[in-house]
Amino acid sequence: MGYEEMFPAMDSRWHGNAAKRFASPFVDNPHDRIDVDPIILSNAAVACGYTIRDFYEKPELGIHCVGYISHLFDLLPVTHWFFSLPWVTELGLKLHYKETLPPISTGPIYSEPEDVDKMRVISKEELLKTTGEFATVPKFFRIYDYVAKNLPMTLVPISYGFDLVGAAAEMVGVENFIMWTFTEADQAEKLVQIYTDTAINGAEAMADKYGSAMLIVGSVLANNDIFSDEGVERYSVKNMYRYVDGCFKHGAGPQVFYHLCGNHQTDYKLFKDGLMWSPFTVIHAGYQGRNAFPSALLKETFQDKATCMGSVDTKLMIDNNPNKVYNSAKEQLLQGRDSKKGYILGTACETPPYTIPGQMLALVKAARDFGTYGTW
Amino acid sequence: MVTVTIPANVKELIAKRGLKESDVLDVVNTAAKTGKYIKNGKDGLAKKVIGGLTVYVVSDLSGSGTAVVKTAYAHKMALGKIVNVMAPTDWKTNDGKAVAQGHVDMEYMTVKRTGPALVDPASGDAWVEEYLAVKTLAAAEGLFEKKRA
Repeated sequence: MGYEEMFPAMDSRWHGNAAKRFASPFVDNPHDRIDVDPIILSNAAVACGYTIRDFYEKPELGIHCVGYISHLFDLLPVTHWFFSLPWVTELGLKLHYKETLPPISTGPIYSEPEDVDKMRVISKEELLKTTGEFATVPKFFRIYDYVAKNLPMTLVPISYGFDLVGAAAEMVGVENFIMWTFTEADQAEKLVQIYTDTAINGAEAMADKYGSAMLIVGSVLANNDIFSDEGVERYSVKNMYRYVDGCFKHGAGPQVFYHLCGNHQTDYKLFKDGLMWSPFTVIHAGYQGRNAFPSALLKETFQDKATCMGSVDTKLMIDNNPNKVYNSAKEQLLQGRDSKKGYILGTACETPPYTIPGQMLALVKAARDFGTYGTW
Repeated sequence: MVTVTIPANVKELIAKRGLKESDVLDVVNTAAKTGKYIKNGKDGLAKKVIGGLTVYVVSDLSGSGTAVVKTAYAHKMALGKIVNVMAPTDWKTNDGKAVAQGHVDMEYMTVKRTGPALVDPASGDAWVEEYLAVKTLAAAEGLFEKKRA
């Protein structure tokens, strides 16, 4: 039995409305209310009775759960599936599944700065031919072929650069990488560029097959808890620009989702004039210090360039007080809902696997109560 | 007066992109007359809004009084004011000032968004490079048409 046989068909009436709402901020055609994107991943599998490991080990099942649970909570009309380490298998890293985490590396494969000189950018042709369950391009082809067949109305092929700095750092060990940013800066930069250019080739493979590929790229390890503003700019902002520009040159895009994960207390301003902005860009920021990044600041900084996605602290999604989610969402909505190029209500990062359903409802209820177009 | 040549392979590309040879000639001749174009080495990049399209022509200007067309392309989005100015590029204005990478307002089907372009803050003018026009903006225009339908 295929996974598709375990789920009722998608409700086209719900989907039609959600699709129109999803397009709202990008085409200046307000419909319904501000959309809600809690970056739902393994929580969707858990909500359907599966495990976190199931979500990652059985991606077709995982993405079907995302589509199904999106309907339950009236979320986005598009499906996605990912974890934070695409392209590293092709660069030599070994990954393995965990019961309660996304796949992780068995350990770094390089330890000396000179080792970076042994690395090379993996070509598109090599990416297409890579075998094994973690091979990135074949895995995403499988996932999107499944979606095209079974959930076609939700299909948006996505290519992930994801965390250009963090994924590159995994190759040599995060501690080594951070140390090299002080002692061997050129080698650290070269390492990130090799990963970035490999990810660009991967995006081209996706665009070749599907005609386009939305780009998701973030600054996760590179945040103000770890790096100075200068470090974030050198290793992250410049490579995010390189990634998106390179992907555009190779036919991927035009949709871009920038994810500033973790604490971007002061470095946020570097992204404003450091990134490439397409007409279909969303910018999302997680935290300012220990608090959810204020939507007023997000709006003030980025509203001339992109659709802004505000954050509710993910910790609140597993706190058994729905009003904490509701009130935080309300505050963010009131600050951000009139962003010039539209606003989306999100959580600061992936909603936790064991998110409490009542908290998800509180998030969406706040969007209905304070984000309905025409009421402010 | 400039003598414009369009090689056969470029004529084929122009036709494939739905552009008229007469429009390509118009772009180059207008640029020669007004001096409004940018240069990168021996290449010149000129543009002109014709109908609902912004048509661009890249020409080899190394010969005296000649322009050999290397490529031509267009986009439907109308370019607006400069949103930001980033690093300088190898492109220069006709009076030798560096043209920068940046972003401009782009409007299509009444929707105003932001997109990447080469920008000259002094004149407020902007140009879209070929890869962005034929790939990124073309795909974005298609999405606008679909979503606004």
